[in-house]
Amino acid sequence: MIAVLAVHAVVALACAALGRRLGRHVLLVGALAPASSLVWLATGPSPTEKISWLPAVGLDLELRLDGFGTLMVALVGGIGVLVFLYAWHYFGERPRLVLFTSYLVGFAGAMFGVVVADNLLVLYLFWELTSIASYLLIGFEDEEGVARSAALQALLVTTLGGLAMLAGLVMLAQSAGTYSLSGLLGGPPTGPTVAPALVLVLLGAFTKSAQFPFHFWLPGAMTAPTPVSAYLHSATMVKAGIYLVARLAPAFAGLHEWWRPLVCGVGVVTMIWSGWRATFQTDLKLILAQGTVSQLGFIMALVGLGLPEATFAGVAMILAHAVFKAALFMVAGIVDHEAGTRDIRRLGDLGRSMPVAAAVAVVAAASMVGLPPLLGFVTKETALASLLSEAGWPATIAVAAGSILTTAYALRFLAGGFTRYATDDREIVVDEAHSPAAGFVAGPVLLAIVTIVAGVFPRLVDGLVAGAAGALGSEGHHLALWHGFNVPLLLSAAAIAGGWLLWRYPPRAVQEAAARLPRAKMVYASAIVALNRIADRVTSIVQNGSLPIYLGVIVATAVIGPGVILTRAFRLPESLIIAENSIQAVTALLVCVAAIGTANVKRRLGAVLFLSAVGYGVAVLFVIQGAPDLALTQMLIETLTLGLFVLVLHHLPTHFENIGWRLRQASRLILSILTGVTAGAFALWAAASRQAAPLSGEYLTRSQPEGGGANVVNVILTDFRAYDTLGEITVLTVVALGAAALILTGRGRSEVPHNDEELVGQKGGDDR
Amino acid sequence: MTPLLPVIVPFGAAAISLALGRRHALRRSLGVLALVANLVASVLLLQEVRDGSVVTVVVGDWPAPIGISVVVDLFSAIMLSVASLMLLAVFVYAIGSSRTDDTTLFFHPVYLLLASGVSASFVTGDLFNLFVAFEMTLVCSYVLITLGGSKPQVRHGTTYVVISLLASTLFVTAVGLVYAATGTVNMADLAVKLQAIDPALREALSVLFLVVFGIKAAIFPLFFWLPDSYPTAAAPVTAIFAGLLTKVGVYAIVRSQTLLFSQDTHSTLLLATAALTMTVGVLGAIAQDDVKRILSFHIVSQIGYMIFGLGLFTVAGLAATVFYVVHHILIKTTLFMVGGLIEERTGTAALRRLGGMLHTSPFLAALFLIPALSLAGVPPLSGFVAKLTLIQSGLEVGAYMTVSVALFVSILTLFSMTKIWAGVFWGAPEAPPPMPEGLESSRPRFPPLMVGSTAALVAASLLFVVAAAPLYQLGQRAAEFLFEPAQYVEAVLGP
Repeated sequence: MIAVLAVHAVVALACAALGRRLGRHVLLVGALAPASSLVWLATGPSPTEKISWLPAVGLDLELRLDGFGTLMVALVGGIGVLVFLYAWHYFGERPRLVLFTSYLVGFAGAMFGVVVADNLLVLYLFWELTSIASYLLIGFEDEEGVARSAALQALLVTTLGGLAMLAGLVMLAQSAGTYSLSGLLGGPPTGPTVAPALVLVLLGAFTKSAQFPFHFWLPGAMTAPTPVSAYLHSATMVKAGIYLVARLAPAFAGLHEWWRPLVCGVGVVTMIWSGWRATFQTDLKLILAQGTVSQLGFIMALVGLGLPEATFAGVAMILAHAVFKAALFMVAGIVDHEAGTRDIRRLGDLGRSMPVAAAVAVVAAASMVGLPPLLGFVTKETALASLLSEAGWPATIAVAAGSILTTAYALRFLAGGFTRYATDDREIVVDEAHSPAAGFVAGPVLLAIVTIVAGVFPRLVDGLVAGAAGALGSEGHHLALWHGFNVPLLLSAAAIAGGWLLWRYPPRAVQEAAARLPRAKMVYASAIVALNRIADRVTSIVQNGSLPIYLGVIVATAVIGPGVILTRAFRLPESLIIAENSIQAVTALLVCVAAIGTANVKRRLGAVLFLSAVGYGVAVLFVIQGAPDLALTQMLIETLTLGLFVLVLHHLPTHFENIGWRLRQASRLILSILTGVTAGAFALWAAASRQAAPLSGEYLTRSQPEGGGANVVNVILTDFRAYDTLGEITVLTVVALGAAALILTGRGRSEVPHNDEELVGQKGGDDR
Repeated sequence: MTPLLPVIVPFGAAAISLALGRRHALRRSLGVLALVANLVASVLLLQEVRDGSVVTVVVGDWPAPIGISVVVDLFSAIMLSVASLMLLAVFVYAIGSSRTDDTTLFFHPVYLLLASGVSASFVTGDLFNLFVAFEMTLVCSYVLITLGGSKPQVRHGTTYVVISLLASTLFVTAVGLVYAATGTVNMADLAVKLQAIDPALREALSVLFLVVFGIKAAIFPLFFWLPDSYPTAAAPVTAIFAGLLTKVGVYAIVRSQTLLFSQDTHSTLLLATAALTMTVGVLGAIAQDDVKRILSFHIVSQIGYMIFGLGLFTVAGLAATVFYVVHHILIKTTLFMVGGLIEERTGTAALRRLGGMLHTSPFLAALFLIPALSLAGVPPLSGFVAKLTLIQSGLEVGAYMTVSVALFVSILTLFSMTKIWAGVFWGAPEAPPPMPEGLESSRPRFPPLMVGSTAALVAASLLFVVAAAPLYQLGQRAAEFLFEPAQYVEAVLGP
């Protein structure tokens, strides 16, 4: 399995790197990758492989192939090869096929990984890779805005589910104590987190398999080139969700009573709603896309039951659906390619120009409807029978109702695409088209043949299907063409008749009313709009570009954070001395007054002078405290700063701009006072709660004998903490370099001095 | 080996570089040589402390609390190693870039001093020295951010400088308060002595330091300086800032919360902050339409994830944080380098002026796509592995709210990455940039040094994925040691 994955990776990279020279043939090289998985399957490989990756978190490359995996690999590989061959004709010679091939090979590899992963995290890994590959493929025609937004839509919806699923998987694994999928299913965990975890996982499965109300991305994804639609959006990627539910349901459906109503309910609603919408589309591909969603709902309802017979039927439906839906999409692509349109209002009598394609379409559509003796008939009978016996009448009736819709849109597809018959208003009708090349229709023809042969001789695929179902705990069921005249047959017949009526006499009023219902797509669109609007709003609030506000928020945070704790626990120290003498008190008072003055004068020069008064006042306090050297430094700094200020003020207006707005000023005032009070109280509190002797004592005793200096401050600066001083000197050097750099470049000069003077002032102050 | 080597080597090189003047070839070789030596020294240190030992030296050979302790433990060594790799890669990138003014007198010495300052922050065991190291990196960043001296650079540079100065003031105040309360600034000594003081006071100090370092780390609500100032700088400068500077803040938060304030776990506060940081950051990114601005907001958002892991206060959570930081430094630097390449090629980073580069420069598209998807946490890339470990450790302790936010923010991250992808690499430009005359012919389409260094980092991020197990083990061990500060204290202060 690892070898197959490696082949995919190598082929994808090689195509990307070297494929340009090959032209369209790069697609044939790409086909080697899915072919390798078929070859590998044919060699009867060993069922488990493991590479240790990150065992500490349970992330190991554990792979396991069982019957269900075999079926899925056969589909992914088989249809993959056909799609590459089909694409070779579809695209002809055109640029960018290198990219297309790499993406598609990457996708095929990821899908292979999904169905053989036996580690929950590895499953998620490949799951997400399919989303990414699908994003790139849907957006392949990247000049088209529609393609880009459809790609984004698919990516966001599936990734949203994917991330929910990741959380769910981790929670499941944590309750189960293992990240192994088979281990989890072998001993389903119980516990309070299991149910929410399962819901999260289901969310992932529903988004991936386009279940209501997340179905809308899939019709949007039809903007991708048709080979992509045929592969990803019918046969493989959308089956990933079903695959996962089919794996989980047998283990968990019985343990949680909400499981079956939820999963089957979602499935049936999806089947009916999308089937209904398919009955009035005018684009061939959209009819199929909506139909795909509808069929996925049907299969989801079956496998979601987690009961043996329904599981068997669901697995059989996966096979039948992949075969006929891939064929239908390929035919739709052929029509588009040869006639130049997919609009059924414009398509006329194409059956004559391309009889083979039309025949394939008829066979595939008949299989979808469930006509004997086709594979679709065999599986549908099985499905109805299983529902009847295991889920009861309501589910059976609902599915039968969904089948009516299936018939109606199948007829619409055939009549609209290949005949002149129409229930819609016709525009310019295209009756003639090129006949597609033999190779172009070869793939669809092969699929049609499979549909017929497997229908007539169900035993040919019975092994594959029974093996798959067996892996899901459903033993002893087999496919058969004829079950006798029974209720399912009756229901089928009724559904076909009803579908014919619905197609022949479409209830226009109801269709139009339904078209006006709110649609999930619009919810998505308005969510995106809302998201962008919220983002703009939030950003314009928090990122308003105003430096004063930024500073205010920072200061407020710094004050409120510790301040809250402070108000809770602060007590005035018992031995609090307000002032040791009157000079100290007076100086302190003057400093306060000067500080208030700084904030209140209107002239810049006045503010600078007041600010200096604060600084000199603090210097005086140092003197009183007996620190003349500190005071001297402070004085020097203040003088220097004052001088620089005066020089700079020359270039600035004499008055501050009017701040106006009282509220703003009031809030600044409150913030300033709070800051001062908090800082003061904090300092008091901190100093009062010291238990240990400070380091300063140690400095004093060691200064002279060991440091060799009488001035302890000097010894600290040049010896004890010389490393700090080195750093600070460096800081000053860099400031000088920076100032030189700005001046030398000569631009933006008016703002330069303002900047640097602040820098210098700050640094000087830090140097004690 | 002395833990000071990663500080000394670039420091000495800076001095020589300054003296070399305009001998550009010589200076370039010198810088590369010094940064290679720096990387080697860091990795050797990492090798030395892998087993959990702590390498320590006191500058000037004074006994521990008197002199300044320099300490390297596993966490420091991890940060040193990844930082020195980035410093080297971005330096090479800068030499190749036409927009760096690598030939001015100042770029090389200042860049090397920045390297020295970053190393100094990671290796210091002294709170005041941490302040000095911060100052060194900051002042170098002031110079680098305005290198070129255009008006917007100076204007946004002013915001950056003023806010950083306020942060420095708060830092000094906080150090002063700690000294007042304990009488020491040696971090190991503090780890012991802070236990003895009033618990409420300790808690208040702890929150204060969170704010101080939070400004540097750009957490909510203290981040606004970052998205305003980073995008205006030259691409290599933004790349190295984005990779390293905020992470120095994260380092300081982790270090202080685990070593100094290990008794008080502000789990709720940190988790709430983490959630808000992730959300507000990513919303900011969504609102932008310029590659560098989008990426700048993502720095903020991603910081939230790192705080998230710390906020859980479990070994698994902290291990995830360490792991995440390493991943993030790598990826974020790379993304900004790719942004610089886009600018180099087209002369703009505005989305509406760009388009179709998938077809004109497919290799560049790949170089963007890998780190972009990694940033969004898409498997199997490094972001997935890192995010997975976070999600797991969050769910393990039932932090459902934060996990939900983290997951939801992932999809928003992906959303804004697709915005760049669709805007730059898909479609056609809405308003093609005016190509300066002779731009096409005058220089290579992609300077090989720039592409080479970017590609090397992309390769390194892939290597991260392959070697996830040993790397995670390192992170896990680092986390274990962080939660056992006794070892650190003993190494510094002696038994």
